[in-house]
Amino acid sequence: MENLEAARLQMAITLIFHIVFACIGMVMPFFMVISHYKWLKTRKEIYLKLTKAWQRGVAIFFVTGAVSGTALSFELGLLWPEFMKHAGPIIGMPFSLEGAAFFVEAIALGFYLYGWKKLPEKFHWFTGIIIGISGVMSGILVVAANGWMNAPSGFTYENGVFSNINPIEAMLNAAWFTQALHMTLAAFVATGFAVAGIHAYQVYKGRNVELHKKAFRIAIIFAAIAALLQPISGDISAKDVAERQPAKLAALEAHYETEKGAPLYIGGIVDEENQEVTHKIEIPKALSFLAFGDFDAEVKGLNDFPEDEQPPVAIVHYAFQIMVGIGTLLAIVGLFYLLSLKWKKWQNHRKFWLLFTLMAPLGYIALEAGWIVTEVGRQPWIIYQVMKTKDAVTPMPGIFYSLITYTGIYIVLTCVVSWLLARQIKVLNQNEA
Amino acid sequence: MLTVVLFFLFFSLFLYVLLAGADFGGGIIELFSSPKNQEKTKQTIYRVMGPIWEANHIWIIILIVILWIGFPQYFNIFVVYLHIPITLMLLGITIRGLAFIFRHYDAIKGKSQGSYNTLFKLGSILSPLFLGVIFGGLVGGNINLFSENPNLSFKEIYIDGWFNIFSLLIGLFYITLCAFIASNFLIGEASDENELNLYRKKASYSTIVLVLIGFIILLYGYFNEIAFVIDFIENKYSIIAVAISGIVLIPLWKMIKLKRKAWARILAGVQVLLVVSAAMLAHFPDVIITSTKEISILDGVAPDSVIQILAIALIIGGSIILPGLFHLMKSFQLIKLFK
Repeated sequence: MENLEAARLQMAITLIFHIVFACIGMVMPFFMVISHYKWLKTRKEIYLKLTKAWQRGVAIFFVTGAVSGTALSFELGLLWPEFMKHAGPIIGMPFSLEGAAFFVEAIALGFYLYGWKKLPEKFHWFTGIIIGISGVMSGILVVAANGWMNAPSGFTYENGVFSNINPIEAMLNAAWFTQALHMTLAAFVATGFAVAGIHAYQVYKGRNVELHKKAFRIAIIFAAIAALLQPISGDISAKDVAERQPAKLAALEAHYETEKGAPLYIGGIVDEENQEVTHKIEIPKALSFLAFGDFDAEVKGLNDFPEDEQPPVAIVHYAFQIMVGIGTLLAIVGLFYLLSLKWKKWQNHRKFWLLFTLMAPLGYIALEAGWIVTEVGRQPWIIYQVMKTKDAVTPMPGIFYSLITYTGIYIVLTCVVSWLLARQIKVLNQNEA
Repeated sequence: MLTVVLFFLFFSLFLYVLLAGADFGGGIIELFSSPKNQEKTKQTIYRVMGPIWEANHIWIIILIVILWIGFPQYFNIFVVYLHIPITLMLLGITIRGLAFIFRHYDAIKGKSQGSYNTLFKLGSILSPLFLGVIFGGLVGGNINLFSENPNLSFKEIYIDGWFNIFSLLIGLFYITLCAFIASNFLIGEASDENELNLYRKKASYSTIVLVLIGFIILLYGYFNEIAFVIDFIENKYSIIAVAISGIVLIPLWKMIKLKRKAWARILAGVQVLLVVSAAMLAHFPDVIITSTKEISILDGVAPDSVIQILAIALIIGGSIILPGLFHLMKSFQLIKLFK
C-alpha cells in the first residue's frame, strides 16, 4: 500500500472511532443531568440509580475520548506535517479554544464524579451542566477547524506562501456554522437513538423495565427532536456545498454532465468507468431545486472539473445515500415516538421496543457516512483549492505499519468499551433482581 | 506577546512533567512494591489522584497545540523526525488510559483486575520512557536532516536520532523523576505508619537513583561531547538551578521527617521546576540540536497576528481554567496549604 493511502486510511479509521467516543461524551452528560434533576426534584431512588449508571458511562467515554483525542492531536502532525506547518497557525484559534473547553470539561467532570455528598447539591448538579456545555463547545470548535479545510479563509496564498493570517476570520469561515449545526444535531440524533435503543432492548427483554423505560424516555426525546430538525439543517448544508464546493455536490449526486434542471438520483449503482449511474430512481429537476431553490438552475457536472481535481464518486455517492436514507428514516421514527406520547397504547406492544432497539446503530452509521461525504468529497484537496492531500503527507515511509498499529489499538479500545458497558448493564439489572 | 506564549508553553510543560509525572510515578511505585503493598498503593493513588486524573493529562494537549500554532517549523521537525518514539509514547499513554478505565469502571471486580494492573504498570513505564527519549532525541545531536543529505537511509533519518544511549538515559531519568514526584506526593497521603514508611523508602531510593542517573548523563555527555551536556555544564543558570535543586533536598527530607506534607510537596515541586528549568535554560532558544546544527524554537515562529491572538486565547483560557483547577484540587484536599 502506498504511503499516502495508508496515511489517509489511518486518519479515517482514527477519526471514525474518535467521533463515536467524542459524540457520546458530548451528549450523554445532558441525559445524566436530566435524570439527576429528576432525582433532586422527586427523590425517587430510581433516578439516582440511573444518574449514577449514566455517570459511569460518561466517565468511560470521556477517558476513552481523551486518550484517542491525545493520539489524534499528535497524529495530525505525524501524518500531515506539511499541512500542520502551514495550517497550524491559521486554524490554531479553534484548536486552542477547544483545548480550553476540553480542560473545563475535565475539571467539571472531576467535580461531578467525586462530588457526591461532598459538594452542595445544586452546585454539584450544575457542574454536570458544565460538562455538557463545554463538551458541545469542543465539538463545535473542532468542526469549525474542519470547516476551514472546506472553506479556507483568513489568509492570502501566493506562490506557495501563506501570509496576512487572520485567525479569527479563519475560525469564522463560511462553512463553520452550517457544519457545526449539522454535526451537533447529528451527535444528539446518533447518541440519542443509540442510548434509547440500548435501554429499549432491556425493556424488550423484560429486564429491570421501570428503570430502562425512564432512561429510554429521557434519551429518545432528545433524539426525536434533533432528528426532526436535522433535515432542515441538511438542506442548509446542501445549498452551502452547492455554492462553495460544486465538485463535491456533483460527486455526492454522481452527476457527470453539467445540466439545467438536473434530476435528483436516489440510490443507484455508480459505474465510474463509463460515467453512469444505473438502477437509480430519478426525480426530474429536483436536484436543481434542492441545491439552488430553482427548478431550472444549472448544476455543474464532474466533467467540468479538471481530472486531477475530481473526488472519488462512488464512495461519496453511496455514503450520501446512506446518510440521507437513514436521516429520513430516523426523522419518521422520531415523529412516531412523539405521536406515541398521545396514543400511549402503542408503547404496550413489544414490537414498539423492538423497533427502537433496531434503530440503535443507525444514527452512528449515518453520522459516519456524513463525514465520509464531507472528507472524501473534498479530495484531492486537504485545504480546498489550496493544498492537495498528497503534498501534505509525511515523508516517512512505512506508514502502513503505523496504520496496522493504530487500527489494532482502536479495535481493542472499542471492544473494551463495549464489553465494559455490557458488564455495567448486567450489574445494574442484577442489583435490581 | 511572544513572551506570554513562551510562558504558557513552559508552564504547561512544567505542569505536565509534574502532574502526569506524579501519575506515571504512581504506577512505577506500584511496580516496585511487594504484592501486599500494591493494593494499598493503588487505592491511595486512586483516592488522591482520581479527581484530577483527567485534567493532568490535558496539559500535553495544550502543549502540543501551542507548539503547532505558535512554532510550526519546530513542530514540523519534531513530528517528522521523531515519528516513531512519539507513536510509542502514544501507545504507552493509550495502554495506560485503557487500564485506568478498566481498573475503575469495570462493574465486576474479579480476577481480570490482575491483567489490568499489568497493563497499567506497563503503560506507566512506557509513557515516561519515551517522553524522555523524545526529549533526548531533540537535544542529543543525533538527528540527521534529509534536507541536508538526500542519500540517507531510513535508519539514519528516523531511528538514529532517538535510538541511542543518551536518549535512553534521559528516558530512565524521567522514569525515576516520576517515581520521585509520586513517592514524595504520596507520603502525605499514607493512611498508616506502615504505608508511610513504604513511601519514605521509595522516596529515598528514587532520590539516590535520580542523582546517580543525572551524574551518569553528565559524564556520558561530557566524554562523548554531546553539545547539550557541554552547554549545560557551561551555562551558569543551568548549573545554579541544579545546585539549588541539590540543596533543596535537605529541607525536603527535613519536612518529610517532620510530616509537614504541604511543605514537602512544595519542595518536591520546586525540585521538578528547577530540573525542567535547567534543561530548558541550557540551550534556550535552540531546543533542537541536530547532527550538524542547532535550530531555535524561535526560527519560523508564527506571524505576529497569530501569536497575539494565541496569547489572548491563552490568557483568557488560563484565567478560566487555573482557578477552576485550583478549586478542584482544594475541594478534594490536594492542596492543603490554606487549611
